[in-house]
Amino acid sequence: MIPTSRETDLEEPVDWPTALLVPGARQDDALRRLHLLMVRAARHQVWRMRELLEGHGPELYDELANSAADEAVTVLLAKLDTFEGRSRFTTWAYKFAILQAATEVRRQSWAQREVTLEDWETWCDPRPEPEQEAEASDLASAVERAMAVALTPYQRKIAVALLVDQVPIDVLAERLGTTRGALYKALHEARGRLRAHLVAHGYLAADGRRGGSR
Amino acid sequence: MTRPGRLTDEAAQLLTLSTEPWLSCEDCFRLMDTFVEAVLVDPDTTAFPQMRVHLRGCGACAEEAASLLDLLVEDRGSH
Repeated sequence: MIPTSRETDLEEPVDWPTALLVPGARQDDALRRLHLLMVRAARHQVWRMRELLEGHGPELYDELANSAADEAVTVLLAKLDTFEGRSRFTTWAYKFAILQAATEVRRQSWAQREVTLEDWETWCDPRPEPEQEAEASDLASAVERAMAVALTPYQRKIAVALLVDQVPIDVLAERLGTTRGALYKALHEARGRLRAHLVAHGYLAADGRRGGSR
Repeated sequence: MTRPGRLTDEAAQLLTLSTEPWLSCEDCFRLMDTFVEAVLVDPDTTAFPQMRVHLRGCGACAEEAASLLDLLVEDRGSH
């Protein structure tokens, strides 16, 4: 079972940043409490995503959660000066463990899977015959063809990997040697280009809603 | 991997989703704790509209925000 707050004794210091920064017994206690918080949040995340870890059990869940918690503590302490007190410290801290644990689970679940980036441009006809045009009146077909003409090869590959093949964004980032943020930016730009193309060709209304002039 | 001609309606919707106004994954992470606490107080809050847009368009961030909210709800129940 995932430990509850009561079981992990998570009574928090009034001033977490000071408690974590000033050397002494109080700092030791704050670090111990912080680690318990991170283990709890990491376990919570791993258990949420355990369906992705088919064939494994609690032993791996704990291993991933503990590893994520350790890494999250390191990352948090390095960013402690960015805590602005806009939320409770525990809420702020939890997100580091959740991010780390989710990333670890996705990485583990794709560890044995190959990611191949295919370019749809090689099999999408950007200028369909009239009959094909008629058949392509539904949005899915229109999007396929828009991908061939409106996106760069890189944008196509990223969009297909993330949204068609459902490769997790952090897994794809790791395989490509880039960042989650950079991939999301590329996807954002691809979506904008597709929408503009579909509006221009009547597949989306000017406000971007489905149901343009076609 | 998916082959041509198999773009589903769901994938088409995801590909054409509006993600304006722009918010990066890094800024989403930066705002996530305050956003989730606001949602905890009022699930229908209209604060952080750019967060709502980002979470619709980024599955990984959406999972992490939902998890954080779930954890806070759990904490609230245990105190």
